[in-house]
Amino acid sequence: MDDIKVAVLRIEGTNCEDETVKAFRSLGVWAEAVHLKQFYSDMIKEEEQRSIFDYHCIVFPGGFSAGDYVRAGAIFSARVKSVLKRDLEEFIKEGFPVLGICNGFQVLVELGALPGFDEDKPLAEKPEMALGINESNRFECRPCFLKHENRGKCVFTKRIEKGRILMFPVAHAEGRVIFPKGKEEEYVERLIENDQIVFRYVDDDGNYAGYPWNPNGSIYNIAGICNVRGNVFGLMPHPERVFWRYQHPNWEEAEKPGDGRVVFESVIDYLRTL
Amino acid sequence: MKALHRYKKVDVPFELYEIDILNATDEELVAISEDLGLALNLDEMKRIKEYFKRKGRNPYDIELQSIAQAWSEHCCYKSSKCYLREYLFGIEKDYVISAIKEDSGVVEFDEEYAYVVALESHNHPSAIEPYGGAATGVGGILRDVLCMGAQPVALIDPLFFGNLDTPEDKIPKGTKHPLYLLYGVVAGIRDYGNRVGIPTVAGMLFFDESYLTNCLVNVGCIGIVRKKNVVPSKVGGVGDLFVLVGGATGRDGIHGVTFASAELDESSEEEARSAVQLGNPIMKEPLIHACLEVVEKGLVTGMKDLGGGGLSCVIGEMALASGCGAEIWLDKVPLKEKGMAPWEIWISESQERMMLTVRPEHVDEVLYVFQKWDVPATVIGKATPDRILRIYYKGYKIYEMDIDFVVKAVEYCRPYVKRKIEAIDETSPPSDYAKVLLEMLSHPNVASREWVIRQYDHEVRACTVLKPLQGRINREGHGDCAVIKPTDSWRGIAVTADVNPWMTKIDPFWGTASSFDEMIRNLIAVNSIPHSFADCLNFGNPEKPERMGEFVECVKALGWMAKGFGLPCVSGNVSFYNETPYSAVAPTPTLMGIGIVEDVRKAITSNFKGKGEIVLVGETLKEFGGSLYCAITGQRCTIVPKTSPRRLKKSANAMLEAFKNFKVYACHDLAEGGLAVALAEMCIGGGIGCVVDLREMRGDGYVKMFAESNTRWLVEVEDAEEFVKFLRRKGVSAYRIGSVEGDELRITGILSLPVEEMDKAWRNGLTRFTGW
Repeated sequence: MDDIKVAVLRIEGTNCEDETVKAFRSLGVWAEAVHLKQFYSDMIKEEEQRSIFDYHCIVFPGGFSAGDYVRAGAIFSARVKSVLKRDLEEFIKEGFPVLGICNGFQVLVELGALPGFDEDKPLAEKPEMALGINESNRFECRPCFLKHENRGKCVFTKRIEKGRILMFPVAHAEGRVIFPKGKEEEYVERLIENDQIVFRYVDDDGNYAGYPWNPNGSIYNIAGICNVRGNVFGLMPHPERVFWRYQHPNWEEAEKPGDGRVVFESVIDYLRTL
Repeated sequence: MKALHRYKKVDVPFELYEIDILNATDEELVAISEDLGLALNLDEMKRIKEYFKRKGRNPYDIELQSIAQAWSEHCCYKSSKCYLREYLFGIEKDYVISAIKEDSGVVEFDEEYAYVVALESHNHPSAIEPYGGAATGVGGILRDVLCMGAQPVALIDPLFFGNLDTPEDKIPKGTKHPLYLLYGVVAGIRDYGNRVGIPTVAGMLFFDESYLTNCLVNVGCIGIVRKKNVVPSKVGGVGDLFVLVGGATGRDGIHGVTFASAELDESSEEEARSAVQLGNPIMKEPLIHACLEVVEKGLVTGMKDLGGGGLSCVIGEMALASGCGAEIWLDKVPLKEKGMAPWEIWISESQERMMLTVRPEHVDEVLYVFQKWDVPATVIGKATPDRILRIYYKGYKIYEMDIDFVVKAVEYCRPYVKRKIEAIDETSPPSDYAKVLLEMLSHPNVASREWVIRQYDHEVRACTVLKPLQGRINREGHGDCAVIKPTDSWRGIAVTADVNPWMTKIDPFWGTASSFDEMIRNLIAVNSIPHSFADCLNFGNPEKPERMGEFVECVKALGWMAKGFGLPCVSGNVSFYNETPYSAVAPTPTLMGIGIVEDVRKAITSNFKGKGEIVLVGETLKEFGGSLYCAITGQRCTIVPKTSPRRLKKSANAMLEAFKNFKVYACHDLAEGGLAVALAEMCIGGGIGCVVDLREMRGDGYVKMFAESNTRWLVEVEDAEEFVKFLRRKGVSAYRIGSVEGDELRITGILSLPVEEMDKAWRNGLTRFTGW
């Protein structure tokens, strides 16, 4: 595929769409921020109306969609469900990639798109996991080290060798991966077995470690996972905030790529093969 | 006393009163002002009486309320204007596009872009309701930047509280504990700033007993705009329509400005709750997008935010600025609640509202954009050719006054007295240097601000090149400035907030000059060219000559430094009445400095890198007035550090030139705690020690270690010897004092402390109160 088109969805309160669009555009891909209303509302002018199938990749960006009142991501996902559920399911089934960053991850979890164990039913009836309030009980903005654990399934990290350590910052209050009570181990094992674990938090030596290296207290240090097919990916840290080296702390060669760029490069690689 | 018999209900199907001031005695005029919460004095009431005598009728309540808003200290700077004009304004720079006149300063960034600067106080609301007060403070400053047509790119929050260890039984009645206020204010800034998606990149946190009954919450914002898109805060021309956009109007925030223009007392809590507005960041976020979209499409002729005084101020000021009048249909304004009287609608300070002026042919397109974003937008009036404002409500004319009379307000050159400062210096060396340094590092005014900074999203928008925390990941130290890269070019903006209230408290003039010096030092330390600044002047009751004296001294010092240095003051705010019967705040002229980083790839961080030698730039003198050393040891000194704009300019230029010629690894300014604290901070951020020998410098050990003389920096540089020679050739003192190595701060003959131990003291200084 050559003319790749990417949509970064927005509603009131999503606030990382500009830098996410910019990340794709910097790699020569056509990307735009699209208001959810452009998919369904009849007040929208014709030239601004959109369909999900106008795009090849959908991104749920970071932010505080609808204020994150009720529960992080809950309102955004409810609106998506009410107007786009069937389209989105088809989109995922056809193998198109969907990315959720931070609040976007929370939206994907609320949508039942992650952990996404059932390939035939890409949006589960009800959420099977949650992103709970950080163990520190508040919003935290800090750099994090992530170890890439995926064995090759996730289309967003194909360019990253397994075991490589990257730095993406986090900025959230609700990012602690929680599985249903009593089924924690089972879920973790299933994710490992299916190759759905993508990033885990580590310390500056590359060892799995507690707070502050694991900034929210996530089970098994999980920072990001993909669905069983590998085309839906959600993570709490922000790859779009480290697209360039100068966005890192302690950069020296400012013009060089930042650690987050490979995520966008990987999915573009994947889309080119479609 | 009440003047009830002077209020006459008008026979209309809504609440409207005629106020009989024509027949009112002087006592009754004062009583009317009090009854209606106007906060106007007798002279002002008499002026109004005169005006209406000429008109041959009595005013309606809405007219009196409108005048009270426009003439409040908060809106018209009636006590400060004449001194600001005399000492501070008028520093001409060809790159300043707009200074002081509008809601924000607009300054050239590069050929294509301008940056926008605003700084304000939100003190009184935050003292009553810290969470909501601080949040709406952030909301207000964002609108000030937005209304110039600019995308906000950074927030800055200087905060001042009473001492955190104040025992409960020492808290005066009606006052909240500083720790409670700190929690509330930080949470308010966090929840609002993070939600609207504008990074909070810099700030200040200062504790002093003078803030116990009056905390100060200052908020600053920087925006970026294409020069061709700068929108004036005025009506485009006759026939333009007024479009009110954003949130609905309610009873929250009534009399906010008159409340901000009087002292707080123990009854303020109950009486003034309704003056605190309610913020809604999730209305603000799409409001920003929608406003910027109509600006980008060239659909608006003017834009201004609704802040203090609400509609009453915004319409009058926008019309006056272009010499026209206005006709307003007040019943069109969308309301949050039923039964509001017209005067309440007119002066409500409900949040998240902006006023646009639009040519009639563009109105449909503007309404569409706002509808798309689900942000209400309503046409509520039009600009007229005469300089008169008329308001209609349900078909009745309820307001007709000359805009010039209402908006061009009173002005006072209030009397002041200059305080005499007796020179005292009773300082002596400490018995244990290491103990003093550790106490300094854990002092709440020095200790790590990580607890605050991490709660703010300082990276959203992905433009923060130098973060507020710098150094080893998860073990960072403080940077001198944050640097953002607002456009696609490598050019950046450095920002810092500074003031030293311990110094201004002893000596308002030299304290302010020192604060200015510190602001420049911070800008230089990251390798930025000082470009402009904004000020937020927080003082006590201006009706007291000694408070006014403090104000005048500060403004004089600021003007002297700024003019001598050649740095334009582009925006500002004066907050008086930060005073209760218990105490007044220390004079607090908060400064926000903006520097241009020509190439962000050359920005310099503060932490030691372990690669070079250490140079101390500047002269150290026995100046301990307002110092941390005095606070820790309890010694007395009133000699506040001196400075001069000429010396500062010479040193700043020499430093910037040296940065071009030498390999500089780190730079940090010397402030609270002097050389010792600066060295310790550089060690902590880098996780590395240093070996220092001060014997080449003259003077007592404790002076060299702890004095807070101005215009000094520490630099880690590859070739220290040549660097020192270079600076000395430029007439700037510099000493090679050691090298970066080991895991201790070792100062020959004075002290030796493991970095780990200093790190611990520094990190626990604030969290021992706040918890982690």
